[in-house]
Amino acid sequence: MSGREPRRAVVTGLGAITPHGLGVEALWKTTADGGSSLAPLQREGCTGYPLRVAGQVRGFEPAALVEETFLVQTDRFTHFGLAAARMALEDARLAEADLDSPYGVGVVTAAGSGGGEFGQRELQKLWGQGPRHVGPYQSIAWFYAASTGQISIRHGFKGPCGVVAGDEAGGLDALGHAAQAVRRGTDTIVAGAAEAPLAPYSIVCQLGYPELSRAAEPERAYRPFTADACGFAPAEGGGVLVLEEARAARERGAEVRATVAGHGATFTGASRWAESRQGLARAIEAALAEAGCRPQDVDVVFADALGVPDADRAEALALADALGAHARRVPVTAPKTGLGRAYCAAPVVDAVTAVLALEHGLVPPTPHVTDCCHDLDLVTGRARPADVRTALVLSRGLLGFNSALVLRRGDATGPER
Amino acid sequence: MTDQVSDVTNEVTLEELAALMKRVAGVNVDPARLREQADAGFDTFGLESLGLLGIVAELEQRYGRALPEQTERCKTPAEFLSQVNGALRKGA
Repeated sequence: MSGREPRRAVVTGLGAITPHGLGVEALWKTTADGGSSLAPLQREGCTGYPLRVAGQVRGFEPAALVEETFLVQTDRFTHFGLAAARMALEDARLAEADLDSPYGVGVVTAAGSGGGEFGQRELQKLWGQGPRHVGPYQSIAWFYAASTGQISIRHGFKGPCGVVAGDEAGGLDALGHAAQAVRRGTDTIVAGAAEAPLAPYSIVCQLGYPELSRAAEPERAYRPFTADACGFAPAEGGGVLVLEEARAARERGAEVRATVAGHGATFTGASRWAESRQGLARAIEAALAEAGCRPQDVDVVFADALGVPDADRAEALALADALGAHARRVPVTAPKTGLGRAYCAAPVVDAVTAVLALEHGLVPPTPHVTDCCHDLDLVTGRARPADVRTALVLSRGLLGFNSALVLRRGDATGPER
Repeated sequence: MTDQVSDVTNEVTLEELAALMKRVAGVNVDPARLREQADAGFDTFGLESLGLLGIVAELEQRYGRALPEQTERCKTPAEFLSQVNGALRKGA
């Protein structure tokens, strides 16, 4: 035996608040069934805009899941983050009492837009009643860093914290950053992303995106990789994973669900989808190299699946560039067509789903998609049983960030096969 | 605006402070405990600096006047009420 084993980041807990429901079980059940939660956007103040269909979280009672002191000073996006983080910590059986030191746990989150609903309310007070009517928590609630701060305060975590501002792909970058922090010496990182973009001000901001779907029917609004692709439906929600150093996790008897094996990120410019082909391919290659995986080791791909023809073509070509002939054989899925895209939270929820897919040996299908016009084995209709050991999760942001994450089942120590 | 203000004395009481802590900062504290521990730091009760800032803003609106700058830097309920009520008496 030579020396100590290198530090690795493994997944020991999952949490999610999504349009499919509260918690990971609700997410997996509907996802595995190929169900969809896309629906007409009918929330108060959100109607009458060209955005008609979205993935809305229903039945979420913040007061039931988050203490009042946190509620008054946070936006809905942080409520999702706080709730998902607690679920993930409970899933990891990592109660505060288990911690040797609060300095051993850090928090890393990503958010694309921050607290739009809270901010709008306070700005309306500013212009409607005057500056003295703006509450002091406006100073922190809107900020996209709020979730990292509030999760660490709520649980008393004092380890290295971070906020990743990397566009939608920042969700995967947060997981990559967290894995890096674990490798560099922190035993536990709570990592994820949460977004609440379904409020009036936030919706108006999104109307400027040419990629946003204007379709009125939920079953037609978000159909990537088809000839009828017409953009994406946005969504709200959050996902959180507990990452731990492999040996530390084993020593406390935690169940190791998956290994965060590799991550790669590139930038190719806003809405330059043809160029994202090269950037995404490069991110995939970097992630596989870090994971010590060959292209043929990839057993399932969770696609970015933007739903814009140029972007879908670029993603299919990026997979062909990075995986070679294996790109035509590997099952590709995009369960987010049943959820909508919750910006930074979308790829994190994909990562949560990927861990569950590895565990269940089941590749969930791509809701609303029946015909694929690209050279990909897109899983549609029903979930496909498969012995999946390595998952590749992809994400691109509207502003040009491309990221890839490699997850491997259980405690994967090296190249397989 | 459900909190009662004692108009007659023009004084903010511990009970009113407890109600403001609840409404502005979501901090649940029993007025009796606040009285017993009036010299304990606000952080003992879970109130942070932004919460105190919000309470000062509420009181300024309610009484229609500015409170001294040091009000929002008070560390304990006793110090805060003495500062606020002193200022209100002076201005009355």
